[in-house]
Amino acid sequence: MSAAAQLSSPSLEARLSALEGEVKSLAMAAAQQATRPDSGADLVKGAGQQDKLSLIVFSGSLDRLIAAFVLATGAAAMGMQVSMFFTFWGTAALRRENVRVKKNLLERMFGWMLPKGVKKLPLSQMNMAGGGPAMIRYVMKKNGVASVEEMIELSKELGVELNVCTMSMDLLGMKPEELIDYPNKTYCGVAKFLETAAPGKITMFL
Amino acid sequence: MLSLVHTNASLDARGKACPMPIVLVAKALRNAKRGDSLTVQADDRAFPEDIKAWCKKTGHELVSLDSKPGYHEAVIKKP
Repeated sequence: MSAAAQLSSPSLEARLSALEGEVKSLAMAAAQQATRPDSGADLVKGAGQQDKLSLIVFSGSLDRLIAAFVLATGAAAMGMQVSMFFTFWGTAALRRENVRVKKNLLERMFGWMLPKGVKKLPLSQMNMAGGGPAMIRYVMKKNGVASVEEMIELSKELGVELNVCTMSMDLLGMKPEELIDYPNKTYCGVAKFLETAAPGKITMFL
Repeated sequence: MLSLVHTNASLDARGKACPMPIVLVAKALRNAKRGDSLTVQADDRAFPEDIKAWCKKTGHELVSLDSKPGYHEAVIKKP
C-alpha cells in the first residue's frame, strides 16, 4: 500500500483531525495561562497590580516623618490608594500633647522619655538637643514646605489610611487616647499590613 | 445635552514646595468637569517634571508648560 493510500484511509484521517484539535486546545490553554496576571510564581492573587502605596513608618523622628507624609500626600494626589502603618517609634510620633492617662511605673517612664506631641519630635541627625528641629522647621517655612502638622491634615482630607501597630503601642506603654485624632484610624498587626501591602505596587519602610 | 462651556480656573502655587503644587492641582481638578482646564503657576524647581508625571499618571492632558520669569506656568485639561 502506498503512503498516499495510507493517509487517505478514513480511520487515519479521523485520528489526524482529532490530534489537530488536541494541539489547538493545548495552545489555547497555554496562551490563556500566559496572559493571566496571577500565573507563575506569584503567591498572592494579583500581586503588585494595584495602584497602591504602603508605608511602614518605624522611625519617630521629624525628618523621616516629613519624608513619609510628603510621599503619602504626593501619592494620594497622583490618585493612588495610600496606607500608612505606624510601628515602634513611629507610634510615639503620633502622640498628642498634654494627655494624661493611667499608666504603670514602666509605662510612665517610657512616656516621660518619648516625644510629647508631633511638635516635639527630634531629628534623626543633627538634633542638637532640640536646636536642629527648630532650625529645620524654620527653613521649611522659609522654603514653602508644608509642616508635618499641615501634611497630616492634608492626608486626612485626601483619604490616606492610618494604621497603628498595637504591639508597639503596648511595648511603649502608649494608650489609644494618647494618639492624634484621625478618621478611621485602625489598630492592627502585621497580618493587616501584609494583606494591604501584598497586592500593591509600592511598599516602603521609613 | 453636553455642555460646551468649560471653565478655565487658575491656581497660584508660587512659594510652595513639593508636594504642595501637585496636591493643590489634584484638589483643584478633583471636582472639575471633563474638558475643564486649569492654569497653574509654580516656582518649585521640581514642578516641570512633577506636573508632567502627574498628568501622565492621572490621565490629564498637559496643554502647555512654559517657563516665565521666576516661575513655571502649566495649562492642564481634564479629559
